[in-house]
Amino acid sequence: MLLVVTYSRRARETLRNACRAHEETVVRKFGRAALLRETEYGAFLACRLRERHAADVQVERTEPFNEFADAPDAVREAAAAYENRESPSTPYDRFAAGTDHPESDAMREREL
Amino acid sequence: MSGRFDAVADTAVRLPDGSTRDGPIVDLRDVELGPSRGALDRVVCAGCPTTSGTLAVHSPPPQSVHRHVSPLTPATTLDRRAALAALAAARGVETPYDDDLRTARRSLRSAAPAAVGVAELRTARRRAAEAGAETERLRERVATIRGRVNALRDADHGTSDDGLAEAEASLSETTRRLSEVATERVAAAQRLELLERNARSARDTRDARLRLEDRAGNLERAVRDARIAAVEDDFRAARRTVSARLSRTRPPDPAVSTGVCDALAVARGAPIRAPVVVAPDLVGALGGPTSTHDVLDAPILIC
Repeated sequence: MLLVVTYSRRARETLRNACRAHEETVVRKFGRAALLRETEYGAFLACRLRERHAADVQVERTEPFNEFADAPDAVREAAAAYENRESPSTPYDRFAAGTDHPESDAMREREL
Repeated sequence: MSGRFDAVADTAVRLPDGSTRDGPIVDLRDVELGPSRGALDRVVCAGCPTTSGTLAVHSPPPQSVHRHVSPLTPATTLDRRAALAALAAARGVETPYDDDLRTARRSLRSAAPAAVGVAELRTARRRAAEAGAETERLRERVATIRGRVNALRDADHGTSDDGLAEAEASLSETTRRLSEVATERVAAAQRLELLERNARSARDTRDARLRLEDRAGNLERAVRDARIAAVEDDFRAARRTVSARLSRTRPPDPAVSTGVCDALAVARGAPIRAPVVVAPDLVGALGGPTSTHDVLDAPILIC
Protein backbone atom coordinates (compact mmCIF):
# COMPACT_ATOMS: atom_id res chain seq x y z
CA MET A 1 0.00 0.00 0.00
CA LEU A 2 1.01 3.64 -0.24
CA LEU A 3 1.39 5.40 3.07
CA VAL A 4 0.93 9.17 2.77
CA VAL A 5 1.87 11.29 5.79
CA THR A 6 1.37 15.06 5.86
CA TYR A 7 3.34 17.67 7.78
CA SER A 8 1.37 20.91 7.48
CA ARG A 9 -2.19 22.02 7.99
CA ARG A 10 -2.74 22.67 4.31
CA ALA A 11 -1.29 19.36 3.24
CA ARG A 12 -3.41 17.61 5.86
CA GLU A 13 -6.49 19.38 4.54
CA THR A 14 -5.72 18.37 0.95
CA LEU A 15 -5.24 14.77 2.05
CA ARG A 16 -8.54 14.80 3.93
CA ASN A 17 -10.35 16.15 0.91
CA ALA A 18 -8.70 13.61 -1.35
CA CYS A 19 -9.71 10.80 1.00
CA ARG A 20 -13.27 12.06 1.12
CA ALA A 21 -13.50 12.32 -2.65
CA HIS A 22 -11.78 9.02 -3.47
CA GLU A 23 -12.96 6.57 -0.85
CA GLU A 24 -12.51 3.64 -3.22
CA THR A 25 -8.77 4.27 -3.25
CA VAL A 26 -8.38 4.75 0.50
CA VAL A 27 -7.67 1.66 2.53
CA ARG A 28 -7.42 3.45 5.87
CA LYS A 29 -7.54 7.01 7.08
CA PHE A 30 -5.72 8.41 10.10
CA GLY A 31 -5.60 11.98 11.38
CA ARG A 32 -2.94 13.28 9.03
CA ALA A 33 -2.00 10.13 7.21
CA ALA A 34 -3.69 7.63 4.96
CA LEU A 35 -3.04 4.27 3.40
CA LEU A 36 -3.90 4.23 -0.28
CA ARG A 37 -4.58 1.21 -2.42
CA GLU A 38 -1.68 0.20 -4.57
CA THR A 39 -3.36 1.06 -7.84
CA GLU A 40 -2.32 3.53 -10.51
CA TYR A 41 -4.97 5.83 -9.11
CA GLY A 42 -3.45 5.54 -5.64
CA ALA A 43 -0.11 6.52 -7.15
CA PHE A 44 -1.82 9.35 -9.03
CA LEU A 45 -3.20 10.77 -5.78
CA ALA A 46 0.16 10.37 -4.02
CA CYS A 47 1.96 12.12 -6.89
CA ARG A 48 -0.56 14.97 -6.84
CA LEU A 49 -0.07 15.46 -3.09
CA ARG A 50 3.68 15.40 -3.48
CA GLU A 51 3.47 17.82 -6.39
CA ARG A 52 1.35 20.28 -4.46
CA HIS A 53 2.87 20.10 -0.99
CA ALA A 54 6.37 18.82 -1.74
CA ALA A 55 8.24 18.81 1.56
CA ASP A 56 5.08 18.49 3.62
CA VAL A 57 4.19 15.13 2.15
CA GLN A 58 5.94 11.85 2.76
CA VAL A 59 5.04 8.84 0.68
CA GLU A 60 6.15 5.33 1.58
CA ARG A 61 5.36 2.04 -0.02
CA THR A 62 4.36 -0.53 2.56
CA GLU A 63 4.25 -4.30 2.48
CA PRO A 64 2.61 -6.75 4.84
CA PHE A 65 5.10 -7.84 7.48
CA ASN A 66 5.78 -11.55 7.43
CA GLU A 67 7.47 -12.41 10.68
CA PHE A 68 8.57 -15.75 9.29
CA ALA A 69 10.38 -14.14 6.38
CA ASP A 70 11.22 -10.69 7.66
CA ALA A 71 12.35 -11.30 11.24
CA PRO A 72 15.00 -13.67 12.58
CA ASP A 73 13.66 -16.73 14.39
CA ALA A 74 15.20 -15.58 17.68
CA VAL A 75 13.31 -12.29 17.55
CA ARG A 76 10.01 -13.91 16.71
CA GLU A 77 10.41 -16.54 19.38
CA ALA A 78 11.45 -13.97 21.98
CA ALA A 79 8.34 -11.93 21.26
CA ALA A 80 6.08 -14.97 21.55
CA ALA A 81 7.73 -16.13 24.78
CA TYR A 82 7.59 -12.66 26.32
CA GLU A 83 3.91 -12.21 25.53
CA ASN A 84 3.22 -15.56 27.19
CA ARG A 85 5.27 -14.77 30.31
CA GLU A 86 3.86 -15.66 33.66
CA SER A 87 4.30 -12.37 35.43
CA PRO A 88 2.93 -9.46 33.40
CA SER A 89 5.03 -6.84 35.20
CA THR A 90 8.44 -8.28 34.26
CA PRO A 91 10.33 -5.94 31.92
CA TYR A 92 11.67 -7.60 28.80
CA ASP A 93 15.35 -7.36 29.64
CA ARG A 94 14.89 -9.00 33.02
CA PHE A 95 12.78 -11.67 31.31
CA ALA A 96 15.50 -12.24 28.70
CA ALA A 97 18.41 -12.34 31.14
CA GLY A 98 19.94 -15.78 31.44
CA THR A 99 17.97 -17.13 28.48
CA ASP A 100 18.76 -17.45 24.78
CA HIS A 101 16.48 -14.54 23.96
CA PRO A 102 18.27 -11.50 22.45
CA GLU A 103 18.78 -8.36 24.52
CA SER A 104 16.68 -5.37 23.56
CA ASP A 105 19.75 -3.15 22.99
CA ALA A 106 21.26 -5.70 20.66
CA MET A 107 18.01 -5.83 18.69
CA ARG A 108 17.94 -2.04 18.45
CA GLU A 109 21.39 -2.08 16.86
CA ARG A 110 20.67 -4.68 14.24
CA GLU A 111 18.87 -3.78 11.02
CA LEU A 112 16.43 -6.27 9.63
CA MET B 1 -14.18 66.52 27.71
CA SER B 2 -15.42 63.02 27.05
CA GLY B 3 -13.57 60.61 24.80
CA ARG B 4 -16.67 60.26 22.78
CA PHE B 5 -16.75 63.92 21.87
CA ASP B 6 -13.11 63.73 20.79
CA ALA B 7 -13.99 60.82 18.59
CA VAL B 8 -16.88 62.48 16.86
CA ALA B 9 -14.91 65.66 16.24
CA ASP B 10 -12.46 63.56 14.26
CA THR B 11 -14.69 62.84 11.27
CA ALA B 12 -14.46 65.11 8.26
CA VAL B 13 -15.52 64.42 4.70
CA ARG B 14 -13.93 66.21 1.79
CA LEU B 15 -16.22 66.19 -1.21
CA PRO B 16 -14.93 66.00 -4.79
CA ASP B 17 -15.68 69.73 -5.25
CA GLY B 18 -13.26 70.56 -2.44
CA SER B 19 -15.83 71.51 0.19
CA THR B 20 -15.74 69.70 3.51
CA ARG B 21 -18.30 68.58 6.02
CA ASP B 22 -17.52 67.43 9.49
CA GLY B 23 -19.11 66.43 12.72
CA PRO B 24 -20.38 63.24 14.20
CA ILE B 25 -23.20 63.20 11.67
CA VAL B 26 -22.38 63.83 8.03
CA ASP B 27 -25.41 63.77 5.82
CA LEU B 28 -24.52 63.07 2.19
CA ARG B 29 -28.06 62.51 0.92
CA ASP B 30 -28.00 65.74 -1.07
CA VAL B 31 -24.63 65.05 -2.67
CA GLU B 32 -24.33 63.32 -6.01
CA LEU B 33 -21.53 60.98 -4.98
CA GLY B 34 -21.63 58.53 -7.78
CA PRO B 35 -19.98 55.79 -5.71
CA SER B 36 -22.18 53.29 -3.95
CA ARG B 37 -22.53 52.94 -0.20
CA GLY B 38 -20.01 50.11 -0.25
CA ALA B 39 -17.57 52.33 -2.13
CA LEU B 40 -18.03 55.09 0.43
CA ASP B 41 -17.27 52.58 3.17
CA ARG B 42 -14.11 51.57 1.32
CA VAL B 43 -13.11 55.26 1.31
CA VAL B 44 -13.52 55.28 5.09
CA CYS B 45 -11.33 52.19 5.35
CA ALA B 46 -8.73 53.49 2.90
CA GLY B 47 -8.30 56.76 4.78
CA CYS B 48 -5.96 59.52 3.66
CA PRO B 49 -4.04 60.82 1.86
CA THR B 50 -5.95 60.80 -1.40
CA THR B 51 -5.61 62.86 -4.56
CA SER B 52 -7.60 66.06 -4.60
CA GLY B 53 -10.83 66.01 -6.53
CA THR B 54 -11.86 62.69 -5.06
CA LEU B 55 -14.00 61.93 -2.08
CA ALA B 56 -11.97 61.58 1.09
CA VAL B 57 -12.87 60.79 4.69
CA HIS B 58 -10.62 61.97 7.52
CA SER B 59 -11.18 59.79 10.54
CA PRO B 60 -9.35 57.43 12.86
CA PRO B 61 -8.64 54.12 11.12
CA PRO B 62 -11.44 51.58 11.46
CA GLN B 63 -10.99 48.58 13.74
CA SER B 64 -11.74 45.01 12.78
CA VAL B 65 -15.31 45.36 14.09
CA HIS B 66 -15.97 48.07 11.47
CA ARG B 67 -16.51 45.66 8.59
CA HIS B 68 -19.33 43.98 10.53
CA VAL B 69 -21.27 47.18 11.10
CA SER B 70 -20.66 49.28 8.01
CA PRO B 71 -22.41 49.94 5.70
CA LEU B 72 -25.72 49.51 7.53
CA THR B 73 -28.92 49.08 5.55
CA PRO B 74 -32.27 47.49 6.44
CA ALA B 75 -31.00 44.37 4.65
CA THR B 76 -27.70 44.08 6.52
CA THR B 77 -26.80 40.55 7.58
CA LEU B 78 -24.27 39.61 10.19
CA ASP B 79 -22.04 36.72 11.17
CA ARG B 80 -22.97 37.13 14.81
CA ARG B 81 -20.12 35.18 16.39
CA ALA B 82 -17.45 36.82 14.26
CA ALA B 83 -18.95 40.24 14.97
CA LEU B 84 -19.14 39.64 18.72
CA ALA B 85 -15.53 38.45 18.78
CA ALA B 86 -14.50 41.61 16.91
CA LEU B 87 -16.60 43.71 19.27
CA ALA B 88 -14.83 42.19 22.26
CA ALA B 89 -11.45 42.73 20.60
CA ALA B 90 -12.32 46.39 19.99
CA ARG B 91 -13.20 46.71 23.65
CA GLY B 92 -9.89 45.16 24.63
CA VAL B 93 -11.46 42.17 26.35
CA GLU B 94 -8.76 39.94 27.77
CA THR B 95 -9.04 36.18 28.07
CA PRO B 96 -7.09 33.57 30.03
CA TYR B 97 -5.71 32.22 26.73
CA ASP B 98 -4.16 35.43 25.39
CA ASP B 99 -0.68 34.82 26.77
CA ASP B 100 -0.51 31.24 25.59
CA LEU B 101 -1.71 32.25 22.15
CA ARG B 102 0.89 35.01 21.93
CA THR B 103 3.60 32.55 22.95
CA ALA B 104 2.44 29.96 20.43
CA ARG B 105 2.34 32.50 17.63
CA ARG B 106 5.78 33.81 18.54
CA SER B 107 7.22 30.29 18.49
CA LEU B 108 5.63 29.70 15.10
CA ARG B 109 7.10 32.88 13.67
CA SER B 110 10.57 32.12 14.95
CA ALA B 111 10.57 28.49 13.83
CA ALA B 112 10.61 28.40 10.05
CA PRO B 113 9.76 24.97 8.68
CA ALA B 114 12.94 22.93 8.29
CA ALA B 115 14.13 22.72 4.71
CA VAL B 116 13.71 19.45 2.87
CA GLY B 117 15.75 19.18 -0.32
CA VAL B 118 12.70 18.55 -2.43
CA ALA B 119 14.36 18.95 -5.81
CA GLU B 120 17.42 16.99 -4.72
CA LEU B 121 15.29 14.16 -3.43
CA ARG B 122 13.34 14.10 -6.63
CA THR B 123 16.51 13.90 -8.72
CA ALA B 124 17.86 11.17 -6.45
CA ARG B 125 14.64 9.15 -6.77
CA ARG B 126 14.75 9.45 -10.52
CA ARG B 127 18.44 8.45 -10.72
CA ALA B 128 17.88 5.45 -8.48
CA ALA B 129 14.91 4.35 -10.59
CA GLU B 130 16.77 4.79 -13.88
CA ALA B 131 19.90 3.03 -12.64
CA GLY B 132 17.71 0.17 -11.43
CA ALA B 133 15.92 -0.17 -14.75
CA GLU B 134 19.16 0.04 -16.74
CA THR B 135 20.80 -2.63 -14.59
CA GLU B 136 17.89 -4.97 -15.18
CA ARG B 137 18.01 -4.34 -18.92
CA LEU B 138 21.76 -5.03 -19.16
CA ARG B 139 21.49 -8.11 -16.98
CA GLU B 140 18.97 -9.60 -19.38
CA ARG B 141 21.10 -8.62 -22.33
CA VAL B 142 24.21 -10.30 -20.85
CA ALA B 143 22.19 -13.48 -20.34
CA THR B 144 21.01 -13.39 -23.94
CA ILE B 145 24.49 -12.82 -25.39
CA ARG B 146 26.00 -15.44 -23.11
CA GLY B 147 23.44 -17.89 -24.44
CA ARG B 148 24.43 -17.07 -27.98
CA VAL B 149 28.17 -17.39 -27.25
CA ASN B 150 27.60 -20.76 -25.62
CA ALA B 151 25.53 -21.91 -28.55
CA LEU B 152 28.24 -20.80 -30.99
CA ARG B 153 30.95 -22.55 -28.96
CA ASP B 154 28.91 -25.77 -28.84
CA ALA B 155 28.17 -25.68 -32.53
CA ASP B 156 31.83 -24.89 -33.23
CA HIS B 157 31.93 -26.23 -36.76
CA GLY B 158 29.93 -24.63 -39.49
CA THR B 159 30.26 -21.15 -38.06
CA SER B 160 32.99 -18.75 -38.70
CA ASP B 161 35.41 -17.87 -35.93
CA ASP B 162 34.51 -14.28 -36.72
CA GLY B 163 30.95 -14.82 -35.50
CA LEU B 164 32.12 -16.30 -32.21
CA ALA B 165 34.75 -13.61 -31.67
CA GLU B 166 32.19 -10.92 -32.35
CA ALA B 167 29.72 -12.44 -29.89
CA GLU B 168 32.44 -12.80 -27.25
CA ALA B 169 33.48 -9.16 -27.70
CA SER B 170 29.88 -8.08 -27.37
CA LEU B 171 29.54 -10.20 -24.23
CA SER B 172 32.59 -8.70 -22.56
CA GLU B 173 31.54 -5.17 -23.54
CA THR B 174 28.01 -5.64 -22.17
CA THR B 175 29.33 -7.27 -19.02
CA ARG B 176 31.63 -4.31 -18.47
CA ARG B 177 28.74 -1.87 -18.88
CA LEU B 178 26.59 -3.92 -16.56
CA SER B 179 29.20 -3.72 -13.85
CA GLU B 180 29.47 0.07 -14.33
CA VAL B 181 25.73 0.56 -14.15
CA ALA B 182 25.43 -1.75 -11.15
CA THR B 183 28.01 0.39 -9.34
CA GLU B 184 26.04 3.49 -10.28
CA ARG B 185 22.90 1.85 -8.99
CA VAL B 186 24.46 1.22 -5.61
CA ALA B 187 25.71 4.81 -5.45
CA ALA B 188 22.30 6.18 -6.43
CA ALA B 189 20.57 4.03 -3.82
CA GLN B 190 23.01 5.19 -1.12
CA ARG B 191 22.53 8.81 -2.09
CA LEU B 192 18.76 8.44 -1.97
CA GLU B 193 18.96 6.74 1.40
CA LEU B 194 21.09 9.58 2.78
CA LEU B 195 18.69 12.23 1.51
CA GLU B 196 15.70 10.32 2.86
CA ARG B 197 17.38 10.19 6.24
CA ASN B 198 17.94 13.97 6.19
CA ALA B 199 14.35 14.52 5.12
CA ARG B 200 13.18 12.41 8.03
CA SER B 201 14.87 14.65 10.58
CA ALA B 202 13.53 17.76 8.82
CA ARG B 203 10.09 16.18 9.07
CA ASP B 204 10.51 15.78 12.80
CA THR B 205 10.69 19.56 13.12
CA ARG B 206 7.80 20.01 10.70
CA ASP B 207 5.87 17.58 12.82
CA ALA B 208 6.51 19.71 15.92
CA ARG B 209 5.52 22.78 13.96
CA LEU B 210 2.24 21.22 12.90
CA ARG B 211 1.47 20.42 16.53
CA LEU B 212 2.23 24.03 17.42
CA GLU B 213 -0.06 25.26 14.63
CA ASP B 214 -2.83 23.06 15.97
CA ARG B 215 -2.24 24.39 19.45
CA ALA B 216 -2.42 27.98 18.18
CA GLY B 217 -5.62 27.09 16.31
CA ASN B 218 -7.21 25.65 19.46
CA LEU B 219 -6.16 28.69 21.47
CA GLU B 220 -7.61 31.00 18.82
CA ARG B 221 -10.94 29.22 19.16
CA ALA B 222 -10.75 29.41 22.95
CA VAL B 223 -9.96 33.14 22.82
CA ARG B 224 -12.84 33.70 20.45
CA ASP B 225 -15.30 31.77 22.63
CA ALA B 226 -14.17 33.62 25.74
CA ARG B 227 -14.41 36.98 23.99
CA ILE B 228 -17.91 36.26 22.77
CA ALA B 229 -19.00 35.10 26.23
CA ALA B 230 -17.57 38.29 27.75
CA VAL B 231 -19.69 40.65 25.63
CA GLU B 232 -22.83 38.57 25.15
CA ASP B 233 -24.82 40.18 27.98
CA ASP B 234 -24.00 43.72 26.89
CA PHE B 235 -24.85 42.75 23.34
CA ARG B 236 -28.28 41.50 24.38
CA ALA B 237 -28.96 44.66 26.35
CA ALA B 238 -27.88 46.80 23.39
CA ARG B 239 -30.07 44.75 21.13
CA ARG B 240 -33.09 45.35 23.34
CA THR B 241 -32.45 49.10 23.20
CA VAL B 242 -32.07 48.98 19.43
CA SER B 243 -35.28 46.98 18.90
CA ALA B 244 -37.18 49.31 21.21
CA ARG B 245 -35.95 52.30 19.23
CA LEU B 246 -36.90 50.67 15.95
CA SER B 247 -40.42 49.79 17.12
CA ARG B 248 -40.91 53.30 18.52
CA THR B 249 -40.88 54.80 15.05
CA ARG B 250 -42.86 52.14 13.34
CA PRO B 251 -44.36 48.70 13.87
CA PRO B 252 -41.92 45.80 13.60
CA ASP B 253 -40.96 45.61 9.98
CA PRO B 254 -39.97 42.22 8.61
CA ALA B 255 -37.80 44.13 6.13
CA VAL B 256 -35.66 45.29 9.04
CA SER B 257 -33.89 42.01 9.45
CA THR B 258 -32.56 40.29 12.53
CA GLY B 259 -29.18 40.94 11.00
CA VAL B 260 -29.59 44.69 11.10
CA CYS B 261 -30.70 44.61 14.76
CA ASP B 262 -27.61 42.55 15.57
CA ALA B 263 -25.36 44.90 13.61
CA LEU B 264 -26.84 47.97 15.26
CA ALA B 265 -26.34 46.41 18.68
CA VAL B 266 -22.73 45.51 17.89
CA ALA B 267 -22.08 49.05 16.67
CA ARG B 268 -23.68 50.43 19.82
CA GLY B 269 -21.55 48.21 22.02
CA ALA B 270 -18.25 48.89 20.26
CA PRO B 271 -16.04 51.93 20.87
CA ILE B 272 -16.32 53.02 17.25
CA ARG B 273 -14.34 56.04 16.02
CA ALA B 274 -14.33 55.61 12.25
CA PRO B 275 -17.70 56.67 10.84
CA VAL B 276 -20.33 54.04 10.07
CA VAL B 277 -22.06 54.37 6.70
CA VAL B 278 -25.84 54.21 7.23
CA ALA B 279 -28.59 54.04 4.60
CA PRO B 280 -31.20 56.82 4.74
CA ASP B 281 -34.15 54.43 5.15
CA LEU B 282 -32.51 52.89 8.20
CA VAL B 283 -31.83 56.37 9.57
CA GLY B 284 -35.56 57.02 9.09
CA ALA B 285 -36.48 53.81 10.88
CA LEU B 286 -34.31 54.84 13.80
CA GLY B 287 -36.02 58.22 14.07
CA GLY B 288 -33.67 60.52 12.19
CA PRO B 289 -29.95 61.36 12.09
CA THR B 290 -29.57 62.49 15.70
CA SER B 291 -31.43 59.52 17.04
CA THR B 292 -29.38 57.17 14.81
CA HIS B 293 -26.16 58.70 16.05
CA ASP B 294 -27.42 58.34 19.58
CA VAL B 295 -28.41 54.68 19.13
CA LEU B 296 -25.16 53.72 17.47
CA ASP B 297 -23.01 55.81 19.75
CA ALA B 298 -20.74 56.31 16.75
CA PRO B 299 -20.03 58.90 14.05
CA ILE B 300 -22.20 58.28 11.00
CA LEU B 301 -22.20 59.03 7.30
CA ILE B 302 -25.69 59.03 5.83
CA CYS B 303 -25.56 57.89 2.24
